[in-house]
Amino acid sequence: MRALLLAASLAAAAAGEACELPGGAAQRIESPRHLVLYRSQPAPLRIGEHFALEFVVCPAPESVRVDAWMPEHRHGMNYRPTITALGGGRYRAEGLMLHMAGRWELVFEVRADGSTERIAQSIQLQ
Amino acid sequence: VKRACVFLILAVTGAAALAAPTFTEEETRKIAAHGPWPAPWIRDPSNRVSGSAAAIDLGERLFFERRLSANGEISCSRCHLPERNWSDGLPRAVGLEEVDRNAPSVVNVRHQHWFGWDGAHDSLWAQSIRPILDPRELGMSAARVAKLVREDKDLSCRYRKTFGSAPDADDEKVLVDLAKALAAFQETLVSGRTAFDEFRDAIARGDRSGVARYPEAAQRGLRTFIGKGACDVCHIGPAFTNGEFHDTGIGFFVRPGEVDPGRHGGIKKLLADRMNLLGPYNDDPKRSTATGTRHVSLEHRNFGEFKVPSLRNLESSAPYMHNGSLASLRDVVKHYSELSPDRLHSDGEAILKPLHLTAGEIDDLTAFLETLSDRGGTYKRRPFPEDCR
Repeated sequence: MRALLLAASLAAAAAGEACELPGGAAQRIESPRHLVLYRSQPAPLRIGEHFALEFVVCPAPESVRVDAWMPEHRHGMNYRPTITALGGGRYRAEGLMLHMAGRWELVFEVRADGSTERIAQSIQLQ
Repeated sequence: VKRACVFLILAVTGAAALAAPTFTEEETRKIAAHGPWPAPWIRDPSNRVSGSAAAIDLGERLFFERRLSANGEISCSRCHLPERNWSDGLPRAVGLEEVDRNAPSVVNVRHQHWFGWDGAHDSLWAQSIRPILDPRELGMSAARVAKLVREDKDLSCRYRKTFGSAPDADDEKVLVDLAKALAAFQETLVSGRTAFDEFRDAIARGDRSGVARYPEAAQRGLRTFIGKGACDVCHIGPAFTNGEFHDTGIGFFVRPGEVDPGRHGGIKKLLADRMNLLGPYNDDPKRSTATGTRHVSLEHRNFGEFKVPSLRNLESSAPYMHNGSLASLRDVVKHYSELSPDRLHSDGEAILKPLHLTAGEIDDLTAFLETLSDRGGTYKRRPFPEDCR
């Protein structure tokens, strides 16, 4: 029964049903198990400026971590964001900064059903 | 004839290689990102006297005030000389004693968000306290500084004009207020327009004749700066710095058996400092500039990282790097050209690699860097009005 419920919620997530981030346009990242919608404040992202992320993870996970790193440079951010759960799979992360031009990966580490899924999106910052 | 043609082709090819480059749309966008200059004025919300004329006047007096040192003989201007781009020309600064690092220029310092080579301070006023209390620099105490201001009629009057009341009985409060006046003065130190700025504005508005006035060698060097050299990965924006910290392969032993931990030590000091922006002396109740302090992350890779300096007016601030170990701009360019990866942290960033520049490219890149100086500056010490009433 539990497996059926999970399968149903994943199907809904994959279809983007009932997964919304109120407040305007949002970026979208899909994985086999989750859908993440996010937007930055301020937008667009600028090199060397702190920003916050509002995001929703569907289906709602047990917990989530947010990070960013530059694969080619082999380093992450110089700052560790704090994440506030707003309920219903919605979160706000504060204190991020991308301090160099180039390709970054924005990473959501989503913890659900006893395992962690890494959901990433590539960002080219100029 | 065939031989002559080959010679002609070689000659033409050689001439073309040395001509001014034509910049692509992408290169033009990158160049335009280094301006406009000067950048707009933004007051520091953590300092209630930022931008105040009375504070700037008091801060300027304090900057050159020798009684602000333990021996009464040196002031802030000992290491930050206006005629040397607000640095001192020495490899390592010398206050009451020699210190371990090069004296960074304070020109354009208002554009920074971390202060000092290790970023141990998050505001210009907190940074201004450090050398006053450092036994190797000015060697004072909060009590001695406060006593000086309370007992000197003129300084006491100017303090009252700046802060609206006589110096407080709390020595630390008086010290912090004086540091805020020092910061207000340093915020006014901004470098002037440069040959690069004229070129940048010309290329941004599509002015070909304006572009042509910029030396060809500098244009070639600029192309290396934003291309093969990728220098603008860290030296970004109008101030030519991302304001953050990197390992540049410069040795960090200060003496045998002792290392300068750089940013790693800086973060530890920052978080332990009650003068930081999360502490009681931040005048901004919203703590709007404290985001970096609240979220900064201490990592092992921070060992040996030092702040990316601005490149503006660097021609007159030799020697270079955090320990003053490179004498000339050409030496700096050669350092990045011949950099040994063995000197970088094996578990650190993978940003730097030797550029393997030709002699001509080194000349051109140096020529470009020289055009980032304003050749004269804008500071003129104002005649102080006499009595304060």
